[in-house]
Amino acid sequence: MAKEFTIEDLRVLANLAGLTLSDDDLQRLLPGVKRAQQQVAVLRAIIAPGDEPAGVFIASDGDRK
Amino acid sequence: MSTVVKSNDLCYLAIAEASAGLRRKDYSPVDLTEACLERIEALDGKLHSFITITAERARAQARRAEQEFASGKGRGPLHGIPIALKDLYMTKGIRTTCHSAVLEKWVPDYDATAVLKLDEAGTILLGKLGMHEFAFGGPSVDAPFPAVRNPWNLAHIPGGSSSGSGAALAAGFCYGALGSDTGGSIRTPSAHCGIVGLKPTYGRVSRYGIVPLSWSLDHAGPMARSVEDCALLLQAIAGYDAKDAASANVPVPDFGTGLREGIKGLRVGVPRAGWFDENLGVDAATETVFNQALEVLKNLGALIVELDGKPFSIARKANQTILVAEAYAYHKKTYQETPMKFGSTVRRRILEGAFLSAADYLTAQRARSALNEQIRANFKRVDVFAVPTAPRPPDTFEGMDPNEQNLRPSFTNPFNLTGLPAISVPCGFTPDNLPVGLQIAAPPFEESTALRVAYAYEQATPWHERRPAL
Repeated sequence: MAKEFTIEDLRVLANLAGLTLSDDDLQRLLPGVKRAQQQVAVLRAIIAPGDEPAGVFIASDGDRK
Repeated sequence: MSTVVKSNDLCYLAIAEASAGLRRKDYSPVDLTEACLERIEALDGKLHSFITITAERARAQARRAEQEFASGKGRGPLHGIPIALKDLYMTKGIRTTCHSAVLEKWVPDYDATAVLKLDEAGTILLGKLGMHEFAFGGPSVDAPFPAVRNPWNLAHIPGGSSSGSGAALAAGFCYGALGSDTGGSIRTPSAHCGIVGLKPTYGRVSRYGIVPLSWSLDHAGPMARSVEDCALLLQAIAGYDAKDAASANVPVPDFGTGLREGIKGLRVGVPRAGWFDENLGVDAATETVFNQALEVLKNLGALIVELDGKPFSIARKANQTILVAEAYAYHKKTYQETPMKFGSTVRRRILEGAFLSAADYLTAQRARSALNEQIRANFKRVDVFAVPTAPRPPDTFEGMDPNEQNLRPSFTNPFNLTGLPAISVPCGFTPDNLPVGLQIAAPPFEESTALRVAYAYEQATPWHERRPAL
């Protein structure tokens, strides 16, 4: 099972993303980030090895505009 | 009797009725436009549904339409009909704010494709409508424009993100409107405001010139007070557009043709098990109203088939993951430069996307493929899906709890993820007199089927005839 996100994890990731966030900001964000990670874990469990991402690149579409 | 009350008769006409009256010369486009502007002036101070009112432009368009009618140059059923646009449709020379301080003074130099098409159809633009900031989060309390209120009860939210479109139609301020829908933003305010809203199939209506929220989930579509009016608006805006990378090059049928054919023998799938009882489940009054709506469909000759709701339930998780990741990608640069210009709600939601990895995003897109297959496989057994549009009535502004919202099922998200057409039609009221919506979803590019079911239901029930007391 994946490790649960902490405020410290968020701080590191925010810095890497070039975001300046206060402790209050991080605290407010934490529940939503945890929920998002839980959602991804559920999704990971339902995909099969052969499932490709939706929205594949179509080479012939380049001259549409 | 005030002139506002007298103008109600004109303001609440259906588009088809108004159009017939214009052709008969019972009234003119100028009369319709003035009636709407007068009503907006008198009542929108309570609702805040408009951000920008384009009164002079509307009057000029109305005079032009009047001349065209006089010289026999009819442009079809939308000619001379006053409409309004969610304020994320780019309009040449008219500010387009997305209800945000970020774009408070932005005036685009071109029109969205859907705006051009409505203009060619001869509609009259009354103005730009309030929304959730950048179509994301909830009603903003710290945006430069006030949050839109629900005409049925001002203490309640109108639903979003196309909140101004829903409220303005319910209040009789315009005859039709455009909204956009990434997770339910056309259908939810339609349900909460007691009007009709259609999210077409992904690719049916061009999104060119609409400020994006999430490229792979965004849909543009019509909102109106009746199913037939939605069909008329969809007819005008549907069609292939090479300027939108997701636009589908498929034929556009006549959406009015099959409207009155009835639903005898139609198989209606209800994906209840494993979805309606998810977490906090569906509000009891809402489910009662929904079950009564199913009885009406049965009495009209439909067959109700219970389905497994689990894939629909999981679809919300994929929709939310993709949505926040794409929204962050779109807004990242602006956020880094001017974070405080975003309202607090949208700021928090956008930032959730900063903490998703590329692998998380692609996991959601792979799940999307799998869920799409599972959900569409049901069309071997049924012709359409029916669910409540929203799991509960609109919250009060005071009692709104975003965390609780995440603990209710989303009945709209799965149809963004799968791109299926879905319509919300009024199906009753709670004991507190708040509207409830019935949602019908159909196979891809079968908007006509969704419209036919919604029309049959609408004509068999009185809910669309009720008006809020303002």
